[in-house]
Amino acid sequence: MRLIRIYLVAFVVLTIFYGLLRVYSRSLRREKLEKHWDREKPDGTDRETYVQEGLKAYDRSIRPKLFALIYVVPFIVIGVTIYMVNY
Amino acid sequence: MTTWTKIKWGLRVVIAIFVAMFLHYVLPQHDTVQITNTYNRLTSVGGMNSIFYASEDAGSNTTEQRDIRFIEAKYANGNVIIYRNEDTGWIWPPYFKYDSSNLQAEAGNLKSSDTSPKWAIVTHYGWRVLWLTAYPNAVSVRAATGPDDSIFPWVNIMILTVLGAVWLLLWRMWAQFRERTIDPLFASAEETFDKAGDTAGAAREKVGGVFSGFGRWLATWRRK
Repeated sequence: MRLIRIYLVAFVVLTIFYGLLRVYSRSLRREKLEKHWDREKPDGTDRETYVQEGLKAYDRSIRPKLFALIYVVPFIVIGVTIYMVNY
Repeated sequence: MTTWTKIKWGLRVVIAIFVAMFLHYVLPQHDTVQITNTYNRLTSVGGMNSIFYASEDAGSNTTEQRDIRFIEAKYANGNVIIYRNEDTGWIWPPYFKYDSSNLQAEAGNLKSSDTSPKWAIVTHYGWRVLWLTAYPNAVSVRAATGPDDSIFPWVNIMILTVLGAVWLLLWRMWAQFRERTIDPLFASAEETFDKAGDTAGAAREKVGGVFSGFGRWLATWRRK
């Protein structure tokens, strides 16, 4: 059915966007960790270890998983549009 | 301004105009009109103007005759407009409109003559291009309180805001990528982050180019 075709196209675009968002968010988190270490300079860990541990904690957290919600967006948009246009 | 900068800016303006025209065609608009007639007519669609009509099959270039519903209407100032009333395909434009029969009935209900005019607000997209015989596609119709009734364009504002946000996000992603991946190639690997930022900034300034000014401005935000 045509709906599947639309979603296939949307799926490709969304996957690209999902990848970009994950990389971007992780890069921002890495930068924040580095800045935090530069400012605070906590003893005991060197910069590289601190950043690596921070990134591991980030990867385990919920935020990277929330980006997967992006795949639901086309359904919501199409549903809302159909309702508003036809009813 | 060097010739290259002029060409770059010229290209950007042209692209911006195309994007604006595209959005103007696809996004819904509201007209307050008096509906004068609704009917079907066998119309030939083909060649250049087929992109302005709904397409059931992709890639057919021959002229075909189709029964198309029309709604004729008149503005308050006397100008006339003719809308077509077609179901949009599933693919483009993404209106998912399949109630054109109902819409035709609703429009017929609101027909009026000049002696006792009834005003209606027609939501439509598309252009009326006379020489291509293209008509805007009416999406919905509702009774208006008078010739001055109008609808605030909420949908357009929301769509444009979302598009603007997406564009901003892409721009930020690109700036971040430049700052983290491309620019450190100019900096010495042994220096600390702050020094690396300054050197990269200096190297960026030497290299110049489109994003250097924006990158510099962005860097001042980051340091705060």
